[in-house]
Amino acid sequence: MYKRAAMIGVLVISLAGIGLSGCKMAPPPDRQSQLIAKGRDLFFNETFAGNGRTCGTCHPAENNFTIDAAFIATLPKDNPLFVAEFNPALKENFENPALMREFGLIQENLDGFDDLKNKFVMRGVPHVLALRTSVQSPAGPRTGWSGDGAPGDGSLRSFATGAVIQHFTKTLNRVPGVDFRLPTDEELDAMEAFQLSLGRQQDLVLPLRLKGTVPKRGQAIFLDNKLGKCNLCHVNAGATANFGGGTLGNANFNTGVEDLPDQPARLTGKAVPRDDGFRSPGDRTFNVPPLVEAADSGPFFHNNAIETIEGAVAFYDGDSFNNSPAGAALKKADPRGVGIELDGTQIVAIAAFLRVINTLENIRQSIELLEASRAAAASEEKRRNLDRVIRETQDSIRVLEGGGLHPDAVAHLQEARRQTEKAARSVFFSRKHTGEAIREQKAARAFLAE
Amino acid sequence: MNVRTFLVGVVGMSALVAAGASAQEMTERFIPIGQSPGLSGKHTVIGKIQAVNARDQTVAIVAPAGAWNAKVTDRTKIWLDRSSLRQPNLKGTFADLRPGATVEVKPEGRQAGASGGPAEWIKVQVSASP
Repeated sequence: MYKRAAMIGVLVISLAGIGLSGCKMAPPPDRQSQLIAKGRDLFFNETFAGNGRTCGTCHPAENNFTIDAAFIATLPKDNPLFVAEFNPALKENFENPALMREFGLIQENLDGFDDLKNKFVMRGVPHVLALRTSVQSPAGPRTGWSGDGAPGDGSLRSFATGAVIQHFTKTLNRVPGVDFRLPTDEELDAMEAFQLSLGRQQDLVLPLRLKGTVPKRGQAIFLDNKLGKCNLCHVNAGATANFGGGTLGNANFNTGVEDLPDQPARLTGKAVPRDDGFRSPGDRTFNVPPLVEAADSGPFFHNNAIETIEGAVAFYDGDSFNNSPAGAALKKADPRGVGIELDGTQIVAIAAFLRVINTLENIRQSIELLEASRAAAASEEKRRNLDRVIRETQDSIRVLEGGGLHPDAVAHLQEARRQTEKAARSVFFSRKHTGEAIREQKAARAFLAE
Repeated sequence: MNVRTFLVGVVGMSALVAAGASAQEMTERFIPIGQSPGLSGKHTVIGKIQAVNARDQTVAIVAPAGAWNAKVTDRTKIWLDRSSLRQPNLKGTFADLRPGATVEVKPEGRQAGASGGPAEWIKVQVSASP
């Protein structure tokens, strides 16, 4: 018996040794990393003495830092997102729970707080990925759907202050120190650093050497200034415009989204006032969002009017866009006098391109997170990174399958997800499974692009 | 798309690109004097009203950095900061600008160093009566 116990002891010590030998001592975090970590903690945990919401309530990491009806349906009844359903002081004129649950729409008072019953807009929640590439413009920073989302100096740093006032308040009086507390300068610094650390840090350089026939054609149409014309306002599938005279940075346009017929929220018969966009009174322009992150972060446009990426591309072939000021300008510049005129196959091809670049970005992020999890000193950080990889990989699979694209890559992504799940569960072989997951991600990527 | 038509398009589209400041004014109303992120202490003037000229719609302010003359235009927002009373802030009018009141003025644009100009917004501190 002693011999058996001794053997077990040796085995346990050996396995522990394997596990420990796999752990590298992580270098101490630098100042920027500490700031980002502080910002992450504030973003997901700080309620600012308000109604219980945090920034992460509407920008959860597990759903690409945005919310949609499907995600909302998974939340418990007492989630602070639904505060208007259980806090009597916020029952009226704070949110519209029906539109929130069915379409992921949030109520905002961008034209003033004087007539809460009638003066509001219903907007989707934009993700907060790749903000480093999408906020700056020569006219100043552009935040939120209409580019004017932040009080103070209008910067991303100041955005949280406005969000606390609009969304975190305990009552509609919105008194600082009573209904919430305002973020301090140090907190704003940290939250800005965290948000800027999310997602892409630079724009793509198109064209990519794509392998799929349809996505490759979609990219060509996207870049064709006589056909798709997408690259004029979404240079390199990002959020900056360039009409040939140099970059305009992140810009605002009136593309006619508000003129779409049969907008889902309005079909309910509930009051959904027209959203007049930038400034108050608004000029009907809205901000250009980045497209790399689009395919897995719908619904699309400021009012969540369109559910699918194919539908979002098709919008630009429709009357609402082509009769809008932006569409009219494109017509004027076109020798044939057309704005954007695409056929069904071309719409699907552009969407396929957007699906593939979204997946490539998910793979890039996943590999980065997997590598970070290997280097992570704290198990909590490792777990958080691996959880995000699982989500990102699920998104990649969903995005490709949704377009009937690259089944060979999908098979590798499914294996990558399995290996990541094993890495998350395993005490002793986490590094091994993480390495396998990285290899599978790279194998999937090789099917999408050279 | 030839060069000429493209340039026409460029000009046309450029006209649609909204320019200018992009701060969100509506939530600004709820931010107490001196706490506007990125503005207070850098791009605003905080001081006491010395004189009010209703005819010219101007307000002379004495601030630590010197005198400042704010022009109230039809674009200027005036808010009553009642946060020290733990009461909701309210919209104000020119009549709320009285000598002796503590105010914060955001000049239109960023006119650091100027001695006056149109105000984008003015916050007026409302304190409890002595």
